[in-house]
Amino acid sequence: MTNLLRVSLAAAMATALAGTALAQETAVKPAAPQPPVGADWPFYGGDENASRYSPLSQITPENVGKLERAFVLHTGDVPSPKARYSPETTPLKIGRSLIMCSAKNILVSADAATGKENWRYDPGVPDAAIPHAAACRGIATYTAPELAEDAACKTRVIEATLDARLIAVDLKTGQPCQDFGTGGQVDLWNGIGKRVPGWYAVTAPPTVVRGVVVTGAQVKDGQDEDAPSGVMRGFNAVTGQLAWAWDMGNPANKNGPAEGETYTRGTPNNWAAGVADEKLGYVYIPTGNSSIDYYGSNRKDYENEFSTSLVALNAATGDVVWHFQTIHHDVWDYDLGSQGTLIDFPGADGKPVPAILLPTKQGDIYILDRATGKPLIPIGEAKGQKGGSVEPDYIADSQPTSLWHTLRKEPLVESDMWGFTPIDQMMCRIQFRSANYEGYLTPPSADKPWIQYPGYNGGSDWGSVAIDPVNGVLIANYNDIPNLNQLIERPEADKMGVRPIYAPKTDAPAPKSTGGEGGASIYPQINAPYAIKVNSGWRNWGTGVPCSAPPYGGIRAVDMKTGETLWDEPLGTARRNGPFGIPSYLPFTIGLPNNGGSVITAGGLIFIGAATDNLFRAIDVKTGEVLWQDVLPAGGQANPITYEVDGQQYVLIAASGHAFMETGRGDALVAYRLPK
Amino acid sequence: MTLTRNAAFADGPAAARRGGAWRIAAILLSIVLALFGIVLFGGGLWLIWLGGSWYYGLAGAGLLATAYLVLQQRMAALKLYLVVWVLTLIWAFWEVGFNFWAQIPRLVAPTVVLVLLLAILPALRPRRT
Repeated sequence: MTNLLRVSLAAAMATALAGTALAQETAVKPAAPQPPVGADWPFYGGDENASRYSPLSQITPENVGKLERAFVLHTGDVPSPKARYSPETTPLKIGRSLIMCSAKNILVSADAATGKENWRYDPGVPDAAIPHAAACRGIATYTAPELAEDAACKTRVIEATLDARLIAVDLKTGQPCQDFGTGGQVDLWNGIGKRVPGWYAVTAPPTVVRGVVVTGAQVKDGQDEDAPSGVMRGFNAVTGQLAWAWDMGNPANKNGPAEGETYTRGTPNNWAAGVADEKLGYVYIPTGNSSIDYYGSNRKDYENEFSTSLVALNAATGDVVWHFQTIHHDVWDYDLGSQGTLIDFPGADGKPVPAILLPTKQGDIYILDRATGKPLIPIGEAKGQKGGSVEPDYIADSQPTSLWHTLRKEPLVESDMWGFTPIDQMMCRIQFRSANYEGYLTPPSADKPWIQYPGYNGGSDWGSVAIDPVNGVLIANYNDIPNLNQLIERPEADKMGVRPIYAPKTDAPAPKSTGGEGGASIYPQINAPYAIKVNSGWRNWGTGVPCSAPPYGGIRAVDMKTGETLWDEPLGTARRNGPFGIPSYLPFTIGLPNNGGSVITAGGLIFIGAATDNLFRAIDVKTGEVLWQDVLPAGGQANPITYEVDGQQYVLIAASGHAFMETGRGDALVAYRLPK
Repeated sequence: MTLTRNAAFADGPAAARRGGAWRIAAILLSIVLALFGIVLFGGGLWLIWLGGSWYYGLAGAGLLATAYLVLQQRMAALKLYLVVWVLTLIWAFWEVGFNFWAQIPRLVAPTVVLVLLLAILPALRPRRT
């Protein structure tokens, strides 16, 4: 007994000592209890697991028809005429307040019952910093245990901006945290290299784990192989000091690069939201692709190892614990866009294991052991296709698939081609027959276009999935759209005047198609032998009508026990769609492209905007039937939230439109509740 | 008005229907059908050459022939097009069944053509024996 006590005490002291040593070295803290979802929506993904599930049950399938607008809140961040905006904002709700970032990172706190503004903090992000489009998907908070209850910035709101700053302000007042970085800011350009506005920008919420704020950044696609680094960095959430850097190309950069050096350039970046396991002290980072996307023969070994992977990093050290690659030698821009969700899932012995569920753009949904990265579901294999490839030796012979569940559909056939008349349908059939296409994983080609299906918009994109852990149901909305792409030889690209983002602005008119992300775009891919032309959504010549038949997107319920589909419905009506961009006002369900996820409530409802019909709707979890809908002021391409104030349940969605999805521009968030 | 004036001609009412406004309507429809027909026929041949569906080339040929018969203001235009339309119907259901959205490009425009042909029915006459 005494001995046992002594041993335990010694062990406890050793642990405590080790903990202290570690804390001094890295500023990492012990696991802290995390705030629950319910009345509040304390995390970007709802709870700390990013389940997008709420235990609130006041709104039900029976009464949802009575839902009415509680208030419409405007962030005041109105785009200038030329600026592309895709705010994609998901607020947090803490106490009586909503806290959110606008498209250009203005932090706004508002009363959660009335929408009345409490405070705002405008970091003054310039238009030049806008990458594809201005977006700020979310923010994080951190409560510092070492600060006094009434200290300024006891609980701080942390956001990362388009012009690559990490900013902390007081949750109560919106005043910058003076203890954080310099005047409440940390410059993320440090160690990245030459400042090129818009090339290196953060759009995802940072992840806080054990007192460390972890962030990557998006690197604008397709510019140059010599691009800003994809380095992941952890910062002390109180002081803003760099805790660690994970530079896959140079482990010596753990504490930042030497004077005059940069983090390894062109490495796979992380633009999707991470999720943290506070208990394990790991953060799960979905990575993207190396710069650039559609050519890979000259990529480095470490890029090939870590691109398009879920990487578990130790929050204390930034060391890689494990990683799982969802596509090898990615030449399709199948970067990971979805946030992982932490779940418990049966292991080999049938007992629940802490796991992470990861949706992908290819549609495959993986479930991995959170501690080891080992798949808890059977993994299949898809054969790599090499026909037409400009680099057949680089194309992987096989790719993983999920045998548990995939959102991916059967390959396209000629009769899947579409249009409004036989003529445009025939034009699409001609394009289909003229393109390289061997089904899923057809590699990039230069001699003629190739069909990529699913396209880079998913499957599942940044909206991720929602999981009801009580009833064991996963809700996934997804896209079902091909892209028609073609590599362009460098001399031809030069002739077309395709220029990278850092090129000096000239008076010569830029090729019309280099501006945006939607429809046909050309990216220079400097230092690769080819530029890339992407016809996103495979729009037809002249008419702009998609070449593939509807549905273009759906929503599906999956049984978590079996991985089987419970129901699957097209998502979105034809009201805003028609030839030459003319709205048809047809109320028929067609199934539309969608971006942004859903929330499931214990009341038995799914709330989702996402589709390009600008509707916000409530769907019965059991049947997939749309029970209620409202027309939003602009597209609802954002993850909705639900919360409670004074015993009343609210549902809220940002309805600010989306440049890429062509759903208008706005600065509104709309909240709903039942009549009092 | 035009009709009334034509009705006074010695050829009688049948000939009158072929003149004036009906004649203009027939010419206009014939031009529209010919334009659609030539695009479908040309594109259809390209698609056949690429190893794709034969429907568009055949439908284009049918439409061109119909356009010619409409210009001639012959009742055979309707008969021929009915054959094209029924074959289109059969082909469309063979290809995509009862898929509503997939039928839009296959059935809407061809049916509009049928309606237009029926609308100018008074301009058409049976073949002279």
